[in-house]
Amino acid sequence: MAEPQVYLEKLSAFSRMLQLQGLAVSPKETADATQILIAIGFEDRQQVKTALRTIYAKSRDQQLIFDRVFDGFFLSEEQMRQQAQQQAQQDRQIQENIEQLRKSGHADGLTEEQQYAFGTMSEEERQRLQEFAEKYKENAKRNPNLYSNFIHSVFAKALLEQQMRLEDAAVGCEGADPELGILYRDISQFSDVEIPKAISIIQTISNQINGELTAKRNRKTHSGKLDFRRTIRKGLETGGRFYHLHYKRKPSRRKRLVLLCDVSGSMMQFSEFALRFIQNLNQVSDSSRVFLFSEEIYEADPFSLQNMDLFRNYVKECGVYGKGTDLGAALEQLCSFNPKALNQYTTLIILSDTKTINQPRAMEALLEAKRQAGRVIWLNPIPQRHWPHIRSVQAFATLCTMICCSTLQELAAACRRLTSV
Amino acid sequence: MDIQELKQKMDQANYIYDETLATVLYVALQLGRPLLIEGAAGVGKTEIAKVMASALDRDLVRLQCYEGLDESKALYEWNYQKQLLSIQINMGSQSSDELTRSLFSDEYLLERPLLQSIRSEKPVVLLIDEIDKADEEFEAFLLEMLSEMQVSIPEVGTIRAKSVPFVVLTSNRARPLSEALRRRCAYLYIQYPDMEKELSILRAKLPHVDDRLCAQVALAVQKLRSNEAILKKPSIAETLDWAAALDALGIRELTPDALRQTAGFILKNNEDFKVLEESNHTHECSCGGHCGGHHHG
Repeated sequence: MAEPQVYLEKLSAFSRMLQLQGLAVSPKETADATQILIAIGFEDRQQVKTALRTIYAKSRDQQLIFDRVFDGFFLSEEQMRQQAQQQAQQDRQIQENIEQLRKSGHADGLTEEQQYAFGTMSEEERQRLQEFAEKYKENAKRNPNLYSNFIHSVFAKALLEQQMRLEDAAVGCEGADPELGILYRDISQFSDVEIPKAISIIQTISNQINGELTAKRNRKTHSGKLDFRRTIRKGLETGGRFYHLHYKRKPSRRKRLVLLCDVSGSMMQFSEFALRFIQNLNQVSDSSRVFLFSEEIYEADPFSLQNMDLFRNYVKECGVYGKGTDLGAALEQLCSFNPKALNQYTTLIILSDTKTINQPRAMEALLEAKRQAGRVIWLNPIPQRHWPHIRSVQAFATLCTMICCSTLQELAAACRRLTSV
Repeated sequence: MDIQELKQKMDQANYIYDETLATVLYVALQLGRPLLIEGAAGVGKTEIAKVMASALDRDLVRLQCYEGLDESKALYEWNYQKQLLSIQINMGSQSSDELTRSLFSDEYLLERPLLQSIRSEKPVVLLIDEIDKADEEFEAFLLEMLSEMQVSIPEVGTIRAKSVPFVVLTSNRARPLSEALRRRCAYLYIQYPDMEKELSILRAKLPHVDDRLCAQVALAVQKLRSNEAILKKPSIAETLDWAAALDALGIRELTPDALRQTAGFILKNNEDFKVLEESNHTHECSCGGHCGGHHHG
């Protein structure tokens, strides 16, 4: 960093990059950064980074974004050379793989993106696909209509999975920070050792949400009725003169939520996390009802939801564990309860990945539930980028508000939304 | 003041810091920006303000935030009782205009921390502690002071700062702070110290305590903090209290028994005690193996 002039000119471009990444950077920050760089010089890269981070990044999340942009922007010459070499090598390898695919004749009918996805596959995966194509080569010659389509569909499926993996890799960049990383990771991929950490994060975030709710409640205007007791007591401080009038607060009505949780094997962890989140919210905790379902429906008592072990034992004991998922049957039972569980003042929240037997029946039952309840919200643990490829998600999303909750961050955002319903 | 000078002053204040902290403090000082510090409870956020007051040789003015804090507690309040007395005494001797004017003068103004910090002749360090506990209205009210270093009092007018205080705001992130407030501040996030820094703090603050015991305490605290099952992580102050307590009890070796007897200094709830008991059963010694296992059994 021997040429300060060059870096000063670059600062405005750097500010622009930060803006593009979502940081609120004003000219004031750039002016401050310039002032501080003149004061500390450019010799120590780490010091420059810390100083600029102090000015530009205003939260922990922003610090991580800043670090990424800084490291990408202010590269040392050695780093730039290495990165260019690596990139060139990687591009060459991908091109070679695509050429190989074209020569083998299997590229016909594949889009450019699919061919690129093939190029990024590992040697082993490419070999497996090629072997599969060779195995059915003779069959394809005998019956081209049947086997060409079959081979193409297998290729397309493998390539789609590879494309999803590439997208996942790009999304996981926040994982560099162990504390924040867990917020952005897929809940279903948490290991056993990460669960206590996740629970403690849920506790922290729900405390934050409760804090926001309290603040919001306090901001609410008064009911218009004078609070005589408080006014008179306060007036005593000023010799019986009433400088400040105090009013009674508006009564706050808690949300009535009905939660329908899928507790089949793949959904167990997500349901437990989501329930924990929602139960932690003061605003909804004492007025919600929780139902667990697989093929049938059971109402959970609040005590059984207090911790993960109790929850899991309860699910196993009540007999819903290990069975298939039949949302239609569960919703029909829920709608037929007497006295009614759903009415115009309730919000029905469904925690499910949309995988169910007898989808048409489930859709009909959902329509009935929507008619009975004031509102239906679906919390879906499948990442949103996969939704276009899953038919059941598309079908159910047209009938209700579906919110993606694949990560704790998204789950927290969904809970914030629930409390504002 | 350059960064080396700041480091020297912090050294003189017997404060253990790293390069990042020194740079951040220097940047905030150089730009005259308030410094917003976030981090878990007990990582030493408040301590930074105290150390800066000592290093810069300034008075520390502290405003502890809480829900419902308003400008009458933070900025100023009229001394109503004194005003009422004055009205009673001067009712016949002064005209009503004169009387009214005299009632809203400095004599009847009760300075609260914010006003005190900007009206001080000598610059001070202003600590606004746990800003996340205050309401959003109070945050908005602070904006004028933090950006313009002035406050407006309806009866008096705008009061500009006689001296510019070094403002430190701390937050435990109980609720997110507004973008407007963040934009006006330099930002620092602190985490719990690593083993090396914790040991340095113990050595600096408790020079009379045996070095071997300090190392065992530091290691045990690091282990407890990394244990995900511990709900309330031990703070730096608790580490210091614990080491001092062990020393006062004449304990020279952190055995499982010693840990059990004095755990109340670092763990503050029953669930955490149970976790400690369980980990003691499995590992037998919470000094993390630092003892070399010679006191086991």
